[in-house]
Amino acid sequence: MTDADPHAAAPRPSPSGEAAIQASALTKHFGERRAVEKIDIELPAGVVCGFVGPNGAGKTTTIQLLLGLIKPTSGTARVLGQPISAPQAYLPHVGALIESPSFYPTLSGARNLEVLTRLGGLPRTRIAEVLSQVGLTERAGEPVRSYSLGMKQRLGVAAALLPTPKLVILDEPTNGLDPAGIREMRALMRGLADRGITVFVSSHLLAEIEAICDHLVMIDSGRIVFQGTMTDLLAAQRSELVATPEFGRDLEALVKLSAAAGHDARIDGDSVRVVAGEDWAAELNRQAMAAGITLRGLRSTRASLEEAFFAITGGAEAGGSSEGLSPIRGED
Amino acid sequence: MLRSFSSEWVKLRRRSMLLWGLGGTLFFTVLATVFTIERAVKTLEPGFHGHGFRITIAELSQPNGLVHGIVDVSNLVGIVALALFAGATATEYSQGTLRNLFVRQPGRIKLLCGKYLALAVFALLAIVLAIAVAVVVAFALGPGKGIHTSAWTSSTGVSDTLHAVLRIYLAALGYGLLGTALAVVLRSPAVAITVGIAYVLPGEAIIDAIWDNGDRWLPGQLLSAVAHGGTSSTSYSRALALVALYAVVVGIGTLVLFQRRDA
Repeated sequence: MTDADPHAAAPRPSPSGEAAIQASALTKHFGERRAVEKIDIELPAGVVCGFVGPNGAGKTTTIQLLLGLIKPTSGTARVLGQPISAPQAYLPHVGALIESPSFYPTLSGARNLEVLTRLGGLPRTRIAEVLSQVGLTERAGEPVRSYSLGMKQRLGVAAALLPTPKLVILDEPTNGLDPAGIREMRALMRGLADRGITVFVSSHLLAEIEAICDHLVMIDSGRIVFQGTMTDLLAAQRSELVATPEFGRDLEALVKLSAAAGHDARIDGDSVRVVAGEDWAAELNRQAMAAGITLRGLRSTRASLEEAFFAITGGAEAGGSSEGLSPIRGED
Repeated sequence: MLRSFSSEWVKLRRRSMLLWGLGGTLFFTVLATVFTIERAVKTLEPGFHGHGFRITIAELSQPNGLVHGIVDVSNLVGIVALALFAGATATEYSQGTLRNLFVRQPGRIKLLCGKYLALAVFALLAIVLAIAVAVVVAFALGPGKGIHTSAWTSSTGVSDTLHAVLRIYLAALGYGLLGTALAVVLRSPAVAITVGIAYVLPGEAIIDAIWDNGDRWLPGQLLSAVAHGGTSSTSYSRALALVALYAVVVGIGTLVLFQRRDA
């Protein structure tokens, strides 16, 4: 009767309690533009954390700060317990895919990984392993310029996995992937989490994040607007019961019955949406039956991540979509 | 730094690098050798001051005659080096691969030094190979023009040739450093190479024409003096010392910028 909870599907090692990422008042300005403004992040180790926000919200800038690629204007952050001012202390344990994957187009996929393997002092055997993990073994010898965007994306993830990381930071990893590729990427990320690897994945595809993440950091206009578990976020949102009477003439009666019990209700097509938790479903069913109304459907709905995001940011009406933030799962 | 050096070699084996780096050097050295030998004359016309590849057969028959033409085009070999170093470095910015490198090697100074070292070794191999081919060509064409090649194989001849190779290589390293610096500053291969060539060729010629003592201080002129083993206005040791000083200043500036600037 209730929507399936995707977060309950896969058992994972519980977070260790140690913070994989910790940021305090982290700020980055580019001239007059405030890309990231005093953000605080506390990300436990061992979770799959979604980092969501519209395009231009500050996701990539935050990731670049965490990887030591750009220097903060002010504030501090630690990754795997080490300050971002000393990236050499933690980057050997971090894999990253930053923005669109960038490679040497005339080199093969395997050669591109060899560049990074040699640079990081990593064993050459990792190349075949990670190519296999992302399903690129058969095309590994072909020049990257012949790869589709989805294949480049996979190669980017392979590059991120090269150092056998403790933390994987992926910036929009499903860009360019077809539905099957997205499903594989999701499985890959869950597999990483199952092995105790912390995954910090940015995306503006909310449905995708909702499907794979158990932790969430929301950013909007350079500021963190929510962080915590996905369950906490969604539980805090308004839930509704959707009751569908056998006959349409009973819709008004159902609305009145719900209102009399103190629950806001409205007609939505052939159903009535009642603002109430799942625990009131049995009572609604009982009262409807007492009023001579037969229900042919009764289910509880939970706010989606998309609705939760817009409720928190106030950026758009629920069900809408702000610029650069898409509820649609699929290619950009 | 050795990891960066090793990593860079994967990229240097690309066909494009071999074509432009090795092919370019080979083209200029062999062409200069052929031109010098083919245009050699028994005696120069009165009043000729030695411009271009005009030289006497007697001069080419001297121990240092083997690489005479190559030294004359050392500036062009330097331009190839400038383009090679600038292209290899700036492409990391324009392609976006620099961020990947920074994640795997956060020590940026080690990264850039390893890259420069790999390019320096690549340039050495290219120059040595190109000059070796040019030497073979010279031995093949020389006798046909009446040039006596026996002096080339004397101990003095071999020493002169090796010193010329070393001087050309040192000058190429200077041009390469200039290319690397421009790449780090400008972050675009096309812009860095264009600005570099525009400065070294017409740029310095214009400055030199305006500034009386320009050839004693301008980097390109000094690199040319190094390649030639000194000129009438600048001794080899002075040119070498000033080039070393400029290299230290430019090298430190480039490393500081590479280290501190956001990727």
